[in-house]
Amino acid sequence: MPSEKSWVFHSQSEQETIAIGERLARELRPGDVVLLIGELGAGKTTLAKGIVKGLGVANPEEVASPTFTLVHEYGEPPAVYHVDLYRIDTPAELETIGLDEVVRSDAVILVEWGERLRGLLREPYWVIELSRAAEDVREIRVSYTGTAAPTVASDSG
Amino acid sequence: MVEDGSKILASVVASQLDVHEKYGGVVPELASRAHLRAIVPVVRSALEQAGTSYQELGAVAATQGPGLIGSLLVGLTFAKALSFARGIPFVGVDHLEAHIHAVSLEARARGEEIPLPALALVVSGGHTHLFEVHGPEDYRLLGRTRDDAAGEAYDKVAKLLGFPYPGGPIIDALAAYGNPNAIPFSLARMKGNPLDFSFSGLKTAVLRWVESHDLSAEIQARRQLRERVKRPTLEEWLQVTSQQTLDLLASFQKTVIEELLRRLELAAEQGGVRSIVISGGVAANRGLRRAAESGRLSFPVYFPSLALSTDNAAMVAALAFEKLKRGVSTPLTAKPYASFRMSPS
Repeated sequence: MPSEKSWVFHSQSEQETIAIGERLARELRPGDVVLLIGELGAGKTTLAKGIVKGLGVANPEEVASPTFTLVHEYGEPPAVYHVDLYRIDTPAELETIGLDEVVRSDAVILVEWGERLRGLLREPYWVIELSRAAEDVREIRVSYTGTAAPTVASDSG
Repeated sequence: MVEDGSKILASVVASQLDVHEKYGGVVPELASRAHLRAIVPVVRSALEQAGTSYQELGAVAATQGPGLIGSLLVGLTFAKALSFARGIPFVGVDHLEAHIHAVSLEARARGEEIPLPALALVVSGGHTHLFEVHGPEDYRLLGRTRDDAAGEAYDKVAKLLGFPYPGGPIIDALAAYGNPNAIPFSLARMKGNPLDFSFSGLKTAVLRWVESHDLSAEIQARRQLRERVKRPTLEEWLQVTSQQTLDLLASFQKTVIEELLRRLELAAEQGGVRSIVISGGVAANRGLRRAAESGRLSFPVYFPSLALSTDNAAMVAALAFEKLKRGVSTPLTAKPYASFRMSPS
């Protein structure tokens, strides 16, 4: 993806990750799909809390992990779908959870373990990779696959 | 199928646990297509078990939420169609309320009534919710998990260590062989509502511990055991699990139980309750049952039987019976809902 640009943030706490999520929420438009990618405990749900807060649809405390329940909705009608593909292994299973309908909606769609959607999803979409940069520092790398990439102010310039 | 609100005539669960285990925690049971295939055979076999027929049913109930919309729709649509075709009332039921009611159902069958108000903890793979219950449909949410559900923490720790899905039963069994004080995991410190729960920090702490100890050989051995044997025995698991992992499991389990019991104690201290109800899949955990019944909680504690701890339709029917008795039924226009809500409409 030659047009892909990325922005990097660093977080040292849950609060900072939520604040980064709030900042990112300002860039999101209805219908945007955001893939959240990172190992167990990387902070995917925490970042989702920040994005949901930034979009003004729910309090961070109300945003819990959808691992078991698969899809959480926020807002009425849903302005955010919070999806978790941790337990999904095959494209056939993706289909059965009704993700195609969710993706076609005008809501912002946050997808934990989103790497499982890569290659199946029509561009453009957002990719947010979370990793551990140091003992207590999480790196949050944000990219957008579209041509008209929005401008995100990151802390690495 | 339930008669008179407390007598279970039949309970059939279309559990696809075998399929589940094969994929390490996938979700065909949540998928609407699997539901669609299962619903008619499941209802038919419940009727057979109960020795009855569609003609004799007095009412039909289905779970309205919270859950995956596609899957809820299957049960809801089937129940509404049956209600319409037979001219019997339809009752939509909340999944969490049904879990709490499972305990009343069994108490009543023993000729007991749970003293109200009660604290009710619904704890499973998808939920960790604490309620104050005053009566049917009269409950207040006191706290809930802000990140992972307790059962989810079990599943993720199990997967991390090469154990099967669901993680609760195997960790519970093996924890008995470990030292629960070996690894002092810290308890979650909640800002804001002290009755909220958090298990994400514990999950991450277990992950870090696993990363900093060389467990790859035994994790590999466990994965191989699962490939070789369909349902390994406890002895077989013990052969491929080191003492330090047993200690890890015992310490993890102790921490989860401590998180749950502390919230119950704190809520009970606030006064006004006369009993405690613990329901949902994690209520089957023996370590939790033992700790809760040790006398530490200063109120009588009620658990469902193991069969009614995990998801089942008997609790849905029993709750519907209560509602009907009070003249409450649900219009056929009722829709499923995805997320938890206090007063389902």
